[in-house]
Amino acid sequence: MNTADFDYVRRLVREQAAIVLEPGKEYLVEARLHTLARKENFGSLDDLLAQLQNGPQNGLHRKVVDAMTTNETSFFRDIHPFEALRKCILPQLLARQGSERQLNVWCGAASTGQEPYSFLMLIQEHFPELFAWDFKFIATDLCAEVLDRARAGRFSQLEVNRGLPARLLVKYFSPRGTEWEISEDLRRRVIFSEVNLVKDWPWLPPLDIVFLRNVLIYFSVESKKTILAKIRRLLRPGGYLLLGGTETTFNLDDAFERVVFDKTTCYRVKPA
Amino acid sequence: MIDLDRLIEQANELAPLPASTVRLAEIVGHANCDINDVAELIAFDQALTVKLLRAANSAASASALPVGTVKEAVTRMGTAKVLALAVASGAKPFLQARVPAYGLDEGALWRHSVAAAVAAETAPAFCQEEVPPEAFTAALLHDIGKLVMGRFLSPEILGFIGQAQEVDHLCQLEAESLLLKVHHGELGGLIAQHWKLPPRVVQGIIYHHNPEQGLDVICDLTYLADQVAKRIEAGLDGHNVDLSICPEVAERLGLTPKTLNDFGPIAASRYLQVSRRYNAV
Repeated sequence: MNTADFDYVRRLVREQAAIVLEPGKEYLVEARLHTLARKENFGSLDDLLAQLQNGPQNGLHRKVVDAMTTNETSFFRDIHPFEALRKCILPQLLARQGSERQLNVWCGAASTGQEPYSFLMLIQEHFPELFAWDFKFIATDLCAEVLDRARAGRFSQLEVNRGLPARLLVKYFSPRGTEWEISEDLRRRVIFSEVNLVKDWPWLPPLDIVFLRNVLIYFSVESKKTILAKIRRLLRPGGYLLLGGTETTFNLDDAFERVVFDKTTCYRVKPA
Repeated sequence: MIDLDRLIEQANELAPLPASTVRLAEIVGHANCDINDVAELIAFDQALTVKLLRAANSAASASALPVGTVKEAVTRMGTAKVLALAVASGAKPFLQARVPAYGLDEGALWRHSVAAAVAAETAPAFCQEEVPPEAFTAALLHDIGKLVMGRFLSPEILGFIGQAQEVDHLCQLEAESLLLKVHHGELGGLIAQHWKLPPRVVQGIIYHHNPEQGLDVICDLTYLADQVAKRIEAGLDGHNVDLSICPEVAERLGLTPKTLNDFGPIAASRYLQVSRRYNAV
C-alpha cells in the first residue's frame, strides 16, 4: 500500500472514529481492506481505494471505518473482572442501591454482544434479584453491523468456545442450525444502540457500572481525556469504570482513583 | 484474505475418525464409563486390539504378568489412555501431512505431536497437580488446527502475519487472531469437537498457547507438553535450550525449577524409546 493511500485511510479512520493508526500499520489496513474489497465485489484493493477517494459518499467510507475497528471479544473475557464483579463490586452496589432498587450499566464497546451477555448470565447466576429492580443494561457500539449480530444473540461454535463454560452454554443457549442462540429472557434485557464515542452521546442515565474495556487503546490522548471526562460526569458516586488490562486513567483524568480487587483494577470518581 | 466461514467449514469437513474411535470417545466421556463396554467395543476392532495389547505389554506399562485379554489391557492402561491410543491411530494419517505454511515437512507435525504426547505422559512424575487422563490426547492433537489453517495461508497472508509479528511484536497466535479472527488452537478445538472428543480435550487444544484463559489444568498441561516437545526437538537438532515455561503455569502445576530441569531430559529419553519402537522419527 502506498503512503498516499495509507494516509487517506488513517485520516478517515481518525476523523470518523478517532482511531489512531501509527505508521507501520500499513499491513493491517491492507489485510482488513482486502477482505472488504472482496466482500463488496471490487476487482482489487486498488479499485476500492480509488472509489473511496474519488467516488461519492455512498456508505463505503463507513464500511472502511468499520473494517478498521477491532471487534475482538469473548465471553467472560479475561475472567478476573467478572470475578471482581461477582465477589466485590455487585455485592457492594446491591447494598448501596438497595433502597432505590435501581442499577444502570453501560457497555460502551459491546461488539457482537459477548460482554453484555456474560454480565447478564453472571447476574442470573448470582444476583437474580437484580432483575426485579429497575435494572438497565445499555450496550452500544460504533459499528451497526456488529450491533445487529449482538441484538440477534446468535453465536457460532467458534464464538461459544471462547470463554463460555459448557454449563452456561447448555443453560442459556439453544442450538439454531450451526449456531447457538441466547435465551430470549436475557436478550430482551439489553438496550442496544449505535454510539460513536468521539461524537455526541445520546442521553444516558446515571451509571453504576461502565464497561469500556480495550477501547481507549485505539484513541489519541485527547480523545481518551474527553471520553473519560464524559464518563466521570455520568458515573454515580461509588460507581465503577472497568477498563482493559493495559488501560488506565492515570495521567489522563486525575479525578479517578484506582480500586484494586485481587487481579482486577477498576476506577471510580474520587469523593469530592 | 481468509474467509472465516470457509475456514470453519473446512475444519468441520475433515474426514471423521474411525467409527469405533468416535463411539469409544462417547463411552469414555460418559460419567459412568464401564470397562466392559470399552473392552467389548475394542474387541471388534482387530487393528486397535493388537495396538492395545502391544502398548499394555510395553516397557512403560510393564508389570511381571503379561496382559492377554483386551479387558485386562483396558484395566491396566485406563480408559483415557486407551482412547488416546485409538485417537493417535486415527489421527496419524492427518498429522503426517506436510504443512508448508508452518514450515512443517512431511512427518514433522506427527513427530512434534508424539513428542508432546510423551511429555504429557511423563508429566505426572513431575507435577504436584493431578494430571487429568485426557492430557495425553489433548497434547497429541494440540496442533491439529495447523492442518486446516495451513491450507489457507497464502504467501500474501503469511507476509501480513510476518509484519504483525515484526511491527507489533505479536506472537504467531496473536497475529493469526488479529488478521484472521481465529487462531490454529481454536481451529483445532473445532476439529476435536467435530471428532466428538471429550470437552476437556477440546479445552486443552484451544488454549495450548494461552492457558491462563482456559481455566482448566488441562490447558496448562497441553501448553507444558508443547513447550517440552519443542525442547526435545531442539535437542535432537543439536540445540540444547533450557525448558522455559510461564511462571504462573509452573506454579499452578506445582513445578519447581529443579523438577523442570529434570523433566526435559527424561521426556526426551522416553520420546526416543517411543520413536524407536513405533518409528515416529
